[in-house]
Amino acid sequence: MSAEEEENAAELKIPDEFLKAKCLMNCEVSLILEHKYEQLQQMADDPMNQMSQVFEKSLQYVKRFSRYKNPDAVRQVREYQLAEFELCVLGNLCPETVEEAIAMVPSIKVPIISIAALYTRGRAHDDEAIEKMLNDLSLIKKFE
Amino acid sequence: MFFLSEIEHTLMLPPHLLNRPLDEAIKEQLDLIFLDKVSLSLSLSLSLYFLHLLTYTLLADSYFLVKFRLVMFRPFVGEIITARLKESTVDGLRLSLGFFDDIYVPVPFLFSPNRNEPVPGHRNRVNWIWNYMDEDYSVDAEDEIMFKVHDVSYPPIPLEPKDVKPFAPMVVTALLHGGGDLGVKHLDCGEGSIV
Repeated sequence: MSAEEEENAAELKIPDEFLKAKCLMNCEVSLILEHKYEQLQQMADDPMNQMSQVFEKSLQYVKRFSRYKNPDAVRQVREYQLAEFELCVLGNLCPETVEEAIAMVPSIKVPIISIAALYTRGRAHDDEAIEKMLNDLSLIKKFE
Repeated sequence: MFFLSEIEHTLMLPPHLLNRPLDEAIKEQLDLIFLDKVSLSLSLSLSLYFLHLLTYTLLADSYFLVKFRLVMFRPFVGEIITARLKESTVDGLRLSLGFFDDIYVPVPFLFSPNRNEPVPGHRNRVNWIWNYMDEDYSVDAEDEIMFKVHDVSYPPIPLEPKDVKPFAPMVVTALLHGGGDLGVKHLDCGEGSIV
């Protein structure tokens, strides 16, 4: 167990310095690294030389595990009202069912209740709200 | 998880770099200091991004105050990540993301029930086999393995090299069972397995 302060994604306790840093989904990192790769190609005759091994491997990884390929889709996913960390994990993993989503990011059960309460009349059912969000996220992917 | 951080750093440019375009010289020095290193609130830094959006100001002599953004990799306890198999021994599995491969799944954290079979011709290697719903699944190099981060540790730099393995500044201990959609994705059936 590390000597650092207790941090646990399940309860959304994240060390302070990361609250100021912005969380990125794999697809966003993919866009950033690809852009840099194109820049390197334009600037040098031999871009492979300039590119470090770690850059190459990370580009490979994020490309392989990106769920959304185009920047507009990425922007749409970002519009959901979730904590940055939660959004990025869901955006990376794209769970298909509500159970999967809650197992991956247990903290979403809490904010979903309040958002659903804002926009629905009568009793808010949190599972339904999560399901709707998952459907929306997969629709974004289908139509990108 | 990846993070974009804004960083302020006091950089000294060695004199022999001062007659080169400043942008380039500074970027190069920052690369040397931050790229592919575990530092700065304990993350692995990936690449420099947008140096010229921020600033550098000459402080004195060849010292500059540089502001830049950095893409960093920093796994969280509880986070779920997909990786590939790097090594399989009696101690468990070692997983890799390509750019980072100090991820270990000790035996108690493997899928269960399990058993292992030694690989002929390789002294330390074993094949780990998962018995799920009466079917045997073995883990091999093409599988994509989803794991949950159980712990991230930062061993202190050893004063003398202790053994043959290169020093790992950041080590992730991973969990393959315990709820949710973890396990090995088999390419042939294309389904994630629920443990």
